[in-house]
Amino acid sequence: MDDKYSSNVLSSGQLGMVEVPNARLTRYIVLLLVSKVLKALGIFESYDLLKVVHIVQFIFILKLGCAVILVFFQKPFSSGKAISKRQWIKLLKHSVISCIISLLGFFGLTLCGPLRTLLLFEHSDVVVIALLSVLFTSSGGGPSKTRGAALFIIAVICLLLFDNDDLMAKMAEHPEGHHDSALTHALYTAIAFLGVADHKGGVVLLVVSLCLKIGFHTASRKLSVEIGGAKRLYALDNLVSCIVLLPWVIVLSATTESKVESWSALILPFGMIIFSVMILEFYVESICIAKMEAPRCARYGSIFLFLSGLLLANFWTHPLTEQLRTMSKTPQQESTETEHVLSGGVLVSAIFFIMADSILSSPSKKGQKGTLVGYSPEGTPLYNFMGDALQHTSQSLPRFIKDSLKQILEEYDSRQIFYFLCLNLAFTFVELFYGVWTNSLGLISDGFHMLFDCSALVLGLFAALMTRWKATRIYSYGYGRVEILSGFINGLFLMVIAFFVFVESVTRLVDPPNINTDMLTPVSVGGLLVNLVGICAFSHAHSHGAAKSNCSSHDHGHSHGHGHSEHGHSHGGHGHGGNGHGQSSHGHSHGSSHGHSHGGGMNANMRGVFLHVLADTLGSVGVIISTILIRQFGWLIADPICSLFISTLIFLSVIPLLTDAAEVLLLRTPPEHEKDLNIALEKIEKVEGVLSYRDPHFWRHSASVIAGTIHLQLMSDVVEQRIIQQVTAILKDAGVNNLSVQVEKEAYFQHMSGLTTGFHDVLAMTQQMESMNYLKDGTCIM
Amino acid sequence: QGTIHPFRKTHRSFFGKLSQEFRLVTSDRQSWRILVFSMLNVFCTGCLLMWCSSTNSMALTAYTYLTIFDLFSRVFSVIFVCLIAHVCVCVFSTRFKRLEVLAVFASTVLVQLGALFILKESVERFVEQPEVHTGRLLVGTFVALFFNLLTLLSVKNKPFVYVSEAASTSWLQEHVADLSRSLCGIIPGLSSVLLPRMNPFVLINVAGALSLSITYMLIEINNYNAVDTASAVAIGLMIFGTMYPMSVYSGKVLLQTTPSHVIGQLDKLLREVSTLEGVLEVRNEHFWTVGFGSLAGSVHVRIRRDANEQMVLAHVTNRLFTLVSTLTVQIFKDDWIRPSLMAEALPASTLRPSDYGGLSSFVPPPPKPSEDINRLTSTPFKPSSPPPEFSFNTPGRHVHPVVLPNTQPQRPYGMGLSYGASPYTSMLNQDLARPGMGIGIGMNLGMGAGMPSLQ
Repeated sequence: MDDKYSSNVLSSGQLGMVEVPNARLTRYIVLLLVSKVLKALGIFESYDLLKVVHIVQFIFILKLGCAVILVFFQKPFSSGKAISKRQWIKLLKHSVISCIISLLGFFGLTLCGPLRTLLLFEHSDVVVIALLSVLFTSSGGGPSKTRGAALFIIAVICLLLFDNDDLMAKMAEHPEGHHDSALTHALYTAIAFLGVADHKGGVVLLVVSLCLKIGFHTASRKLSVEIGGAKRLYALDNLVSCIVLLPWVIVLSATTESKVESWSALILPFGMIIFSVMILEFYVESICIAKMEAPRCARYGSIFLFLSGLLLANFWTHPLTEQLRTMSKTPQQESTETEHVLSGGVLVSAIFFIMADSILSSPSKKGQKGTLVGYSPEGTPLYNFMGDALQHTSQSLPRFIKDSLKQILEEYDSRQIFYFLCLNLAFTFVELFYGVWTNSLGLISDGFHMLFDCSALVLGLFAALMTRWKATRIYSYGYGRVEILSGFINGLFLMVIAFFVFVESVTRLVDPPNINTDMLTPVSVGGLLVNLVGICAFSHAHSHGAAKSNCSSHDHGHSHGHGHSEHGHSHGGHGHGGNGHGQSSHGHSHGSSHGHSHGGGMNANMRGVFLHVLADTLGSVGVIISTILIRQFGWLIADPICSLFISTLIFLSVIPLLTDAAEVLLLRTPPEHEKDLNIALEKIEKVEGVLSYRDPHFWRHSASVIAGTIHLQLMSDVVEQRIIQQVTAILKDAGVNNLSVQVEKEAYFQHMSGLTTGFHDVLAMTQQMESMNYLKDGTCIM
Repeated sequence: QGTIHPFRKTHRSFFGKLSQEFRLVTSDRQSWRILVFSMLNVFCTGCLLMWCSSTNSMALTAYTYLTIFDLFSRVFSVIFVCLIAHVCVCVFSTRFKRLEVLAVFASTVLVQLGALFILKESVERFVEQPEVHTGRLLVGTFVALFFNLLTLLSVKNKPFVYVSEAASTSWLQEHVADLSRSLCGIIPGLSSVLLPRMNPFVLINVAGALSLSITYMLIEINNYNAVDTASAVAIGLMIFGTMYPMSVYSGKVLLQTTPSHVIGQLDKLLREVSTLEGVLEVRNEHFWTVGFGSLAGSVHVRIRRDANEQMVLAHVTNRLFTLVSTLTVQIFKDDWIRPSLMAEALPASTLRPSDYGGLSSFVPPPPKPSEDINRLTSTPFKPSSPPPEFSFNTPGRHVHPVVLPNTQPQRPYGMGLSYGASPYTSMLNQDLARPGMGIGIGMNLGMGAGMPSLQ
């Protein structure tokens, strides 16, 4: 059932890995469960311990204890081959990095609390690598992996946004200088610099260190082979990192006074943490990976870990903290009454994390996509896997950018659009940054408006680029038509804008809002300047195109009215519009739009882009004027009325562009050539030897190509090629430059009637023959 | 003239025409139903827009756009019924189908632009989240869902149904298919319900309603107003995902492209054509879809000097007619001015019965010693290896500048030397074709023809 509906080749069924039934693995699963529960317990305890013990000391003690036990068990020095000097250096680097990662991890623990740390930090390599491959490569492994990645990201976002941690407020008011060491202080200031709460900073920190951890694990695989096994590496690594941390710990304990009163009381918890977090988990994991396959181990492990974390978070009463508090009785510890509690957001994200882990760690069911080449003699299908390999030979990114830039700058149109796009984007980002800096919402939203408008420019740029692509098998006439389609889409874009301005202004008509006009003038002056540059650049191209269609004056007037109307849109959000201005431009644009509808623009793409730019320009003018009006007279009601007006104007003025583009897309005979074509057809009829013609189709394919097909009926004694030549020349004069002529004589119909065996077709053919005979008498069908 | 004037009719007496069309619409039962539903739809959309502004919910607004999209498709289908009723009878029955394509394209693009607008607004809302009133949220959701499903399931909108079946699957469909496949692994009984391809419109409606309900729940329980924005983004992305394949499909039809699923068949037919007797090469082949499903095309066939043009034309048309309904074949001969023209040597009355074999059997080439040596040695699957003599010393070269510039004006290589079937060669590396050797072209062409079947 599975295979029947999936297009994949190496489907899971018979070809994939054979899964061992769970019953045989029960022992290992139970072992995994026990170790994970103990690990969760250990993490919870270490959170409590970290409140009294400095983080560096804590890690040092952990590593030391671990190293002692492991050296005792593994005997890394007495067994195995000797370690060379180069390997020692590598080991040193390795352990320094592992120290940094565990520092980051435990620091995140102090920030986020144990449950969140478990959820964020304790993912196995398989899961994270699957996630990264979904995010950054195209071959993620089917929709299920994508779903898993989406769940993972949603879970992280849940932790970031919807987790109302009570401690957050408390943590926010921690006094500076409270931090024990330079390291924690630096980390705290880094998080404070980001402008997020500590808890959220911890989430980000943990995600980053998770990625670091995975990268580190992957990188250290080679070293572990060199050293002689992962266990030996682990033991040596712990030992070396102890030595690395030793000087720091000595300095630390010499300079700062310890909060711990009796280390003896802490021996038991430390032993427990060392055993559960560092040693037991490591051994159980390695056994389980050997006995089960890694994905399944990861799936079970994460489920057990997260569930036990959830349970512990619910029931953990921080016995150690109580004990410590009664012991130390320092007033400092008062703030720990509210811990990182279990909130709805954490619950949801835990569920999402469990689902994401189980999806991401499940072995990829999608086989490689192959193409069917043929069938073997036995009848089994044969596939070709070359396609995938060929896809991977993509060029590097800088080279791609360089090439496309070169292509853009090659031609006038695309160059203009590109320069203007750059200018526009620069202005937008300046506006956005300034808005964020001064915390002005108006500026930010105006920046987003500009970005929205930039998408039209990007579309135009892309279309202008595509137009020059070479013809392919599928695009047999070349890509010239993309330009017209992009003009059509741009027209639709303007219509959508008109619609939204209309809706907005209707709602504002009921309740005209108060408008703050302070920030607007400089912004709109800036926008005006930018757009004026754009107009200067585009009007050349535009009038150029319009001059071809002999209606440049119409065009100009038209676009003026347009731009005006557009303005209301781009600042409709703030509720300004040029009141008097909009009215004065009304008649103007109206008349010109009529003029425009007659002259088909040559380049619909540039026309669409030009309309957008003009719209923005006059938008800025309108904002300036409306600001003045509102300041001087305080006409608030004028604003929605004006935008109503404006939206209708946009609508009216886009219609010519849309109709022109639609006519081209519908393969209509180009109106500006219609007369010529009719004359040409009359001429063709008069060519010697031509009886009649049928199915004359002429259409504009793109700005430069007018294509056509025509069928001619000839007398049987003329030379076909001469007629083709003549007809082609005649139609070429009429503007058709991509023509196919089919010449038919009486013999053709005879052949056809012989070739087609069906009775119906023969009947049709004979009828056509009769009409041919009829035509010979000199009468014409069309 | 065979052309459409769809936008002209508005100039004539508008209201008279409107009333006439209205009468036409009401006379038909099917269109009457469509009209009723679009009225309902307009009413529903108005209500929803009002509720959107009263609840201040972005997600509901996004969902309303789906209703507006439905309205578009309804209105378009009403227009079609009108057009079919009285305009189409006369002139442009084939070109009319193109209007359907344009309508599908326009409405899908409009909805996507609306979704883009939603995304923009949502980004702005992330900066400052306003409060959402949940009073009408759930009511609006279910009203919209109900009407959408009602209109979707009761009125069959032919072009949209066709596009939703022909276009590639959207990501939403893929995910649902994947989920339901794994669900069917657990409960095999559901396979008849879940495994067939889902209707994308139903899917997006249900998914949108689901996300709106979740939004309602979360806002009611925990007052998470940001969920509203998040679900608006989700609905916007879903709209994009659903509509994008459809607009790509209809856009490709509008761009006059060869539909990729018929390329294999077309190649086979063209290969057959090029092995016909007398055919030297096939070039300038353009095939495109006029409406949904109907293929049109034009092709230039170069033939030997002494071949019978009408015979070849009939054979070529006969081969291609099975796939391409509207076909124009231009027969092309080099140096036809030379007096040794043998075209009329074979009169039409002396037709051999073996020529009319059938579609599958191609005419065996009779042994023509001088020119056919090249063709006989080459494998029959290479579509056309032009004899090298042509490429180098064409005696009637002065003819070419007259004919060729008209037919292929923007071919990148030289006019006089344009022999290779250019769409093939331009797809591959052009430099290979540059040296101008006949054999090189033949190889290149063979590769070009072979590639699509491999990919």
